[in-house]
Amino acid sequence: MFLPRFLPTLFLTLVCLLVLSTPLALADDNDWKPVDPAELSSTTPVVEPNADAEAIFWEVRMDDSQTEDLIFKHYIRIKVFTERGREAQSKVDIPFGKISHYKIRIEDIAARTIRPDGTIIELKKSDIFERTIVKANGVKIKAKSFAMPGVEPGSIIEYRWREVRENQSANNVRLEFQRDIPVRSVKYYLKPFANGETMRVQTFHGNSPELVKERNGFYSVTMTNMKPVHEEPNMPPEDQVKTWMLLYYTPIPTSNPAIYWGLVSKAFDEIIKPLMKADDRVKQTAATAIGDATTPEQKLQRLYEYVRANVKNTSDDASGLTAEDRLKLKSNKSPSDTIKRGQGTGQDIDLLFGALAKAAGFDVRVALAPDRNQIFFSPEFSNLYFVEPSSVAVKVGDVWRFFNPGYNLLPFGMLRWQEEGEETLLVGESGALWVKTPMSPPELSRVTRKAKLRLLEDGTLEGDVRMEYTGHLAIEKKEENDEDSPQQREDTLREMIKSHMSTAELSNIQIENVTDPAKPFVYAFHIRVPGYAQKTGRRLFLQPAFFQHGFGALFQTSDRTYPVYFHFPWSEDDNVEIELPGGYALDHAEAPAPMSAGNVSAYNVKIQVADEHTILYHRTFFFGGGESILFPTTTYSAIKQVFDAVHTSDEHTLALRQGATASN
Amino acid sequence: MNMLKRLIGCTFFLLLLSVPALAGSDEAPLWLRDAAAQNAPAYDRQVRAVVLRREQNVTVSEDGHIVTTTLYAVRLLTREGREYARAIVPYLTETGKVRELNAWLIRPGGAVKHYGSDNVTDAISDPNDVYNELRVKVISAASDADAGMVFGYQSVTEERSVFGYDDWNFQDRLPTLAARYTVNLPSGWSAQSVTFNHSKVEPAVSGTSYSWELDNLPPIAEEPASPEVTNLAPRLAVSYVPAQGANTPLKTFSNWVDVSRWLSELHDPQAASNDALIAKARELTANSHTELERIQAIGRYVQHLQYISIDIGVGRGGGLRPHAATEVFAKSYGDCKDKANLMRAMLKAVGITAYTMAIYLGDPTYVREEWASPSQFNHCIVAIKVGDETQAATVVQHPKLGRLLIFDATDDATPVGDLPQEEQNSLALLIAGDQGALLRMPVTPPESNRLERQAEMTLNGDGSMSASVHERFAGQSAVSARREFRALSRPQYNQRIEEWITHGVQGARLSRIEPTDQINENRFALDVDFNSLAYAQLMQNRLLIFKPAIVSRHDSLVLTEASRRQPVVLGPYALTETVRVHLPANFDVDELPDPLKLDAPFGSYAASYEVKGDQLVFTRTMTLRAATIPPEQYATVRGFFERILATEQAPVVLARR
Repeated sequence: MFLPRFLPTLFLTLVCLLVLSTPLALADDNDWKPVDPAELSSTTPVVEPNADAEAIFWEVRMDDSQTEDLIFKHYIRIKVFTERGREAQSKVDIPFGKISHYKIRIEDIAARTIRPDGTIIELKKSDIFERTIVKANGVKIKAKSFAMPGVEPGSIIEYRWREVRENQSANNVRLEFQRDIPVRSVKYYLKPFANGETMRVQTFHGNSPELVKERNGFYSVTMTNMKPVHEEPNMPPEDQVKTWMLLYYTPIPTSNPAIYWGLVSKAFDEIIKPLMKADDRVKQTAATAIGDATTPEQKLQRLYEYVRANVKNTSDDASGLTAEDRLKLKSNKSPSDTIKRGQGTGQDIDLLFGALAKAAGFDVRVALAPDRNQIFFSPEFSNLYFVEPSSVAVKVGDVWRFFNPGYNLLPFGMLRWQEEGEETLLVGESGALWVKTPMSPPELSRVTRKAKLRLLEDGTLEGDVRMEYTGHLAIEKKEENDEDSPQQREDTLREMIKSHMSTAELSNIQIENVTDPAKPFVYAFHIRVPGYAQKTGRRLFLQPAFFQHGFGALFQTSDRTYPVYFHFPWSEDDNVEIELPGGYALDHAEAPAPMSAGNVSAYNVKIQVADEHTILYHRTFFFGGGESILFPTTTYSAIKQVFDAVHTSDEHTLALRQGATASN
Repeated sequence: MNMLKRLIGCTFFLLLLSVPALAGSDEAPLWLRDAAAQNAPAYDRQVRAVVLRREQNVTVSEDGHIVTTTLYAVRLLTREGREYARAIVPYLTETGKVRELNAWLIRPGGAVKHYGSDNVTDAISDPNDVYNELRVKVISAASDADAGMVFGYQSVTEERSVFGYDDWNFQDRLPTLAARYTVNLPSGWSAQSVTFNHSKVEPAVSGTSYSWELDNLPPIAEEPASPEVTNLAPRLAVSYVPAQGANTPLKTFSNWVDVSRWLSELHDPQAASNDALIAKARELTANSHTELERIQAIGRYVQHLQYISIDIGVGRGGGLRPHAATEVFAKSYGDCKDKANLMRAMLKAVGITAYTMAIYLGDPTYVREEWASPSQFNHCIVAIKVGDETQAATVVQHPKLGRLLIFDATDDATPVGDLPQEEQNSLALLIAGDQGALLRMPVTPPESNRLERQAEMTLNGDGSMSASVHERFAGQSAVSARREFRALSRPQYNQRIEEWITHGVQGARLSRIEPTDQINENRFALDVDFNSLAYAQLMQNRLLIFKPAIVSRHDSLVLTEASRRQPVVLGPYALTETVRVHLPANFDVDELPDPLKLDAPFGSYAASYEVKGDQLVFTRTMTLRAATIPPEQYATVRGFFERILATEQAPVVLARR
């Protein structure tokens, strides 16, 4: 369902960015802490070898004890080791400002550089510049900016400031423990608001540090030797790999997740009930839509098709509605409204589908799910922070089925990959019910590619190509194209092909079903690739895996820090037919050996010769069987080996020889 | 900084979300309705929008007060053309303001939407600067716009300036139906103009009002390796000539010496030194024995100061005046003119005379001799007066000042004796009072910027291999390698090298990555050892095929379009590579690719194969000269690179004995 998190949440995200970018921390007084001479003379990083700079400490004092404001005092000390570190750390921007009623002030900035010889250069107040970054419509983002004076490799720089978040509470504040440089020690001092709610903290992807009671009502939490997050291909989402902490208040006991989620479920159910009410109009509509369908599957499919066909989806990118148009739309208060108006948001459509299913006698619940693109969620964490309404669950027999017709590109029976394979909370008056959503098997997300080609004696390959995408692969393609003009869609295809076959020339391009949720996304085109095959003496060398030509190996580095993660299982089925130039025949017809990795993956290639002058190449591949899409770092070598082997097999070359006799 | 950019990006997104609904009944002004009624020629499908009217009307007062009215109308031809439904009006906070900004979106049916002050976003122009007075006011209608609509805006800006000149583009890359620039001068004043990238455009003159106009300008397509758009789009430069005896703060220039004198007034006082600065200069050069060594010692120091830009008083020429050398020295940071000025002061402290130089970074053809104006420059370097004992490729001869060593004190990857590729062959202004002059910057030959690569590979009968690659970069080739090395952390650099090797060698495992930077000699070395279990393919247990070009050239130009509109611009490049392959026992060479030798006016290429005992020696050499090749010779240059690509892909065939 559906809606992006709303504006205040976005602002909180900005605030979190702010907190991350500008070291938090705090000194209890206004003095600089003494500098250890050993730190000044040190030339090597402690946390991560080869680091260009390293935070010696990073302290934040968060005070939420006052009614009005949330106050942070930040203090960071950084050791600079290299020129690159000097360049990256010398300039400081501390954003603040106002968005709607959220306002942040920055006060009491102080900064200084301690050079390797011990001389200290204080930042002058006149060298702190206040800039309005952007201003419009009640939004005013500003920054206090300064350059640290006299920095050179070997210097220590440190700065501190006070940040006041006006009329805000610390509920759902994210405490970051990693920065763009390694940090030897991160310490937060936290002083909660004493209003009867209990402050709680939850650590993600790190050992939960002890909350230590400090003076004046503060608690502290410390982590040490924190490395920065380095990006890797096919890694889990950042919130899933980095160490961070969520601070929140709740009056509800969280030690027993079952109780917590039960209360949440009941509360949500009260909100949802009127929004999914099956009144007479809904009942009548359901009966009409279902018609002569008899099985539950048929009935649900009819209802799904009904809402898709009869309600214009105003959330759809391709609806033709502008921002102005959307602002003018009236909101629907009930499923009946949605039927009456014949249009609604994606959320309206989901709720209407739920109401129709309910009217048809099904047990229906709204499903609250986390987003697998953000984090891998566990219901053991008793907080609503990660879950939001995402789909409608309908019980068919003993099985809960999930539907999201409001997302216009989803075929019947599928969810967005972000919500597949996730523990999902079904809202109901009887309490919490957690059900794991199914993950689509590889065969549901398939690319089927066919090429009928002719090889010329000079190595040029030319012919017709068709590529069909289904399931999540189709959704990705449709999302990529649905807002674009036909010309832009063609340009996107050209770029895609040229990125791995630089000399390719495309013509007669057809792109089908870009906005059709049910049909496969299709590319069809004529292609000419000069220099595809290489000539050496009497031989021509040809890579029959036409669709894999020019791609590098998926995993190119030997080391790995994070798990390997694929968004969803997928499969590939390629048929390539290549007519050979006159006078040439296949020197040999060896095919790469088949490979399989249990039920997770399999690769097969068959190469045949037809009529002595046509090569028939058939390749199948799938990955992610058994819902295996996440692989721990310890298995990286094995995963890399699989993809390296596939790549090697895809690069398999056939030799064609002038005057040779074809072999099968 | 990245965070700030993200924050700004997020904020713009929020602003888009929060654009209020607007009345649709507002009427567009007559000029916009007239523009929208025009028919445009048919363009290629790639052209996303056509500018219907592009007009700037400037009224200059004797006291330096300047009012500029801009009218702009664009028809969106494709959905992607929405990005052009945007008004961006720059201004300086201290000396200027945007008095009026209104925009309209006209739908194909004629309905009009007006965007007024409630829709204006005011933003910094460059998030990288610590402080900069230049800001922009923006109205974006992109989220409302679509193909077939016409977007137009009208702005009025005011400024108090000291600059008695202006420059203006008749178009950007979009086709433009009507472009007009008008200047209204005080009584008795006149205007002089220069046209760039187009035959001279003569103004229509009425009293002291001058108007230049061009119509029906075709689109300027984006093509790889093409000249910068600043060298393609017609541009206009206008100088205001005050009446005899006029009392005006507006500064105009009749020749380059004039410009030099004026800039010298801004620069010279800032080069004063103090004891600390002099002491540092002497300390840096204490162990230097020659003039060149003294220059190198100070050059290294200044280049390594942090680059920080703080521009204040831009409208009064502040953007052209360096901060005091003593201040820059104390803070250890500054921008290009600050660094050039500090270097000048430090050199003076050790008895060497130097001058600052204004140059344009980004397009060596940008600065034109025929228009004497400081606004042609965006960067500052140093010219150092040297004696005959100082020999370097970047010495130029000044008719009066003699030998001048040119040096960029900002680019810390290019040492004394070399000049960044982007600055070579461009025109730069020596800021030396009456001795100032526009000088052509030196060009270093491809051979001094070469890459020499030696590779040794031992190939085994099962297709596995082990190899070593040794690269030796010199000149600007070393500068490129050094920039890459410095821009990345060591783990990132290793990863980049690993990706480069595995791109050519499937499944390569690297056992050594050893970069060595010799900046004083302007050389860079890279040694890499690796092996692979499956480099060559064994066929029928009889034939072994492999590509002797183990690794790719670092830069390869791929020209794939059938036709070309713009010239092809080539930079100088020189590669020499020798690959020695130790062949597996019991295998003989069965077939070798044909050797290739190409000679063209812009460059040459040769690839050859030779069997020496159990070794195959593959050599390739490539030399490209800096050249601008006209579009009619496109087929030649495209064919040149295609044949190279085909040759470098061709495999060697070995057969089992």
